[in-house]
Amino acid sequence: MTDCDAIIIGSGPGGATAAEVLTAAGWSVIVVEKGRNHLIDLQAPFEPLRHFANDEIAAVRRHLLGPDPLLEPRSYRRSEADGDRLMVGEVNNLPSTVGGGGVHADAKLPRFREEDFALLSARGPIDGARIEDWPIGYDDLEPHYAAAEASFGVAGEAGANPFAAWRSGPYPMRPGDDMPTALVSAAAAQRAGLHPYRAPTGVNSVAYDDRPACVDCGYCSGYGCAIHAKGDPIAALARALRTGRCRIVPEAYVTELVLDPAGRRATGVRYLDLTVCPDPPVRELRASRAVVLAAGAFETPRLLLRQGIGGDAVGRYLTYHYQTFTVGWFPHSVGGERGRSVTHLHDDLMIDTPDLRRVAAAAGLAWVRGGVVEHGGANAPVEEATTYGPGAHHPASMRDSAIRRRMWVFTMQGEDLPQAANRIDLDPSVRDVWGMPAGRVTYAPHRHELVASAYAGPVHEAILLDAGAEVAFTSTSPPQGDLGAHAAANPLGIAPASRHVMGTARMGIDPATSVVTPEQRLWDLDNVVVCDSSVFVTSTGYNPTLTLAALSHRAATLLAG
Amino acid sequence: MTFGFDPAEREAIAATLDAAVPGSVEWGAVEYVERLLGAFDHEPPRIWAAPGTWAGDGPAWLDPGPWERHAWRLRIDAWRSVYARIARGADDDADRRVAFEHACESSYGDPAYGGNREGAAWVAVGFPEPLFPPARSDP
Ligand SMILES: Cc1cc2nc3c(=O)[nH]c(=O)nc-3n(C[C@H](O)[C@H](O)[C@H](O)COP(=O)(O)OP(=O)(O)OC[C@H]3O[C@@H](n4cnc5c(N)ncnc54)[C@H](O)[C@@H]3O)c2cc1C
Ligand code: SF4
Repeated sequence: MTDCDAIIIGSGPGGATAAEVLTAAGWSVIVVEKGRNHLIDLQAPFEPLRHFANDEIAAVRRHLLGPDPLLEPRSYRRSEADGDRLMVGEVNNLPSTVGGGGVHADAKLPRFREEDFALLSARGPIDGARIEDWPIGYDDLEPHYAAAEASFGVAGEAGANPFAAWRSGPYPMRPGDDMPTALVSAAAAQRAGLHPYRAPTGVNSVAYDDRPACVDCGYCSGYGCAIHAKGDPIAALARALRTGRCRIVPEAYVTELVLDPAGRRATGVRYLDLTVCPDPPVRELRASRAVVLAAGAFETPRLLLRQGIGGDAVGRYLTYHYQTFTVGWFPHSVGGERGRSVTHLHDDLMIDTPDLRRVAAAAGLAWVRGGVVEHGGANAPVEEATTYGPGAHHPASMRDSAIRRRMWVFTMQGEDLPQAANRIDLDPSVRDVWGMPAGRVTYAPHRHELVASAYAGPVHEAILLDAGAEVAFTSTSPPQGDLGAHAAANPLGIAPASRHVMGTARMGIDPATSVVTPEQRLWDLDNVVVCDSSVFVTSTGYNPTLTLAALSHRAATLLAG
Repeated sequence: MTFGFDPAEREAIAATLDAAVPGSVEWGAVEYVERLLGAFDHEPPRIWAAPGTWAGDGPAWLDPGPWERHAWRLRIDAWRSVYARIARGADDDADRRVAFEHACESSYGDPAYGGNREGAAWVAVGFPEPLFPPARSDP
């Protein structure tokens, strides 16, 4: 007796997309989700829940969307030389909730470009990094990109980005309104010879898919949408539920894949039923055909490592985006309190230009690629208040509001090269409240990232000054240099703040160096399909979610035959 | 009975909160801390305000799950000890950091949590009212 055709572990953009595809193909699925449900009524007619407000206390300060770091700590160190760890706490936490990180992402959803899938062929190797071509190309993925854009509802403008890859059709809807200061920074970027464009965004610019248009409330990055104008991933989950073949089980922490006696196939999962506290009972679900692993690129390797599944490469080649923040302080308000956090991007630092060739040559690197650059403002007065530090100066600092009301930021999501030493493994002594070893990050950027960042800073500072900023400066995450000073002063902390986590179960054609096949099946368990960004071969410099959803769409389509 | 400081405790705690963020006590920082430390005096516990009237009728506070309750009980127990030390004048830097963060939350977070009385702190710094505020229920 089995419970369903497929069990899907994790309900984020990857798991939700797999659920939509498999149920459409007639499969019955159970989505097992560690976090709680604040997204969608799990009874027909599956209406969106109304749990989200414009509330910094609940969303940012009080972990409404989980995970609570008291229950689920993680640890971080830069290298083995740091000992077991440098810190314990929040490390790259994405929400643990029905919908995963899609719920509170501000949903910039660009596609990768053709070159991104064939970096080794296009640009060549770099010492100290394991750069490889992906086993699939852009053309293989294009139909799945289109399907993911239609599912989430991506608003964008075909042709606006001169560097974009080809596309088979228009975006599902036009872009939303521009943030006013983005028009100013985009114009300055253009004067500097760059090519800014309206960000493709998974937010309704018009009513779409029975969800309303965004009203630019300003609480986008880091918040659930009060009116569900963000489509990722509520749209995919709702469609899966409406087939009648999908069940979502929240508060269910998968601790183990159940294997057949030969250890070649997964027959189900065991999970802790977190609706019971203390002593959550262990329950089991059985699947007749497949298990889809979509726990995110941090938790997927953690689960595999606990069981010794997947081989030596599991957890390795962890990549983020090496984030370079160029901050401009303007003499006036920049209006970050309204809008979708970011409305414009430019890709120029991803392109093979004479300038970047010169930078690479000077640094002794074969090439340098930066990353997509987001033009954005801030809207979080409590976070701002904690940054100024206590004392008599506080009210004046808040009124002056240099790091919120007057701050416009270029965030470069810098390409992070895959290195074997950068990894997620199991912390030798820190455990979660249920007794499982915590995930531990060991990460330091490659010199390539530092060179790209050092180039980007002055370029972007000059643009912000031209746009009217009085002061411009640049910082990075993770911070470089003396950690003691940074730990106290840096509001982003010492661990990488990037929430773009990739590459911990890479796809490839060689089982010795990859974890999953080109169809995203584990080499050693052929009915386990990995549907999150852990399968990325390289990080590129683009936001990962549309690509991981397109990959999930493709893998689930292949699985369903 | 819901949680509250006695007058002597209140005086010491107010002084610490106001030293960290001047003006915070006038905006309701002590009430914010009392409500936080007394979150479990209510059912559901007052951790997360539910969406406001714009979302239609509904409970004023979201219901935390059993493990979330566990985590919040631990956290609040630890903070009760912090404020007991502050009230006795036996606080250290870490305690004052907690008070500072709560002073920031109370002043610049939503009035639903007991601070930022009538949005006065937001007015003072030119922060606009949210379009979709959480429910602002009576204590
Ligand atoms: C503030 C913010 C803004 C962002 N903005 C963007 C953006 O603009 N564009 C973009 O591309 N990306 C953005 N991201 C990143 C984006 O959220 C992630 O790339 C995306 O959510 C990853 O999807 P996923 O399905 O792989 O994993 P996740 O979204 O992490 O979902 C995995 C789910 O699996 C569950 N899970 C984990 N382990 C288990 C287990 N053992 N048992 C059961 N369930 C489990 C988790 O609880 C989680 O819900 C942003 C992130 C943040 C934090
Ligand atoms: S800006 Fe728009 S999409 Fe984002 S949370 Fe507000 S209403 Fe929702």
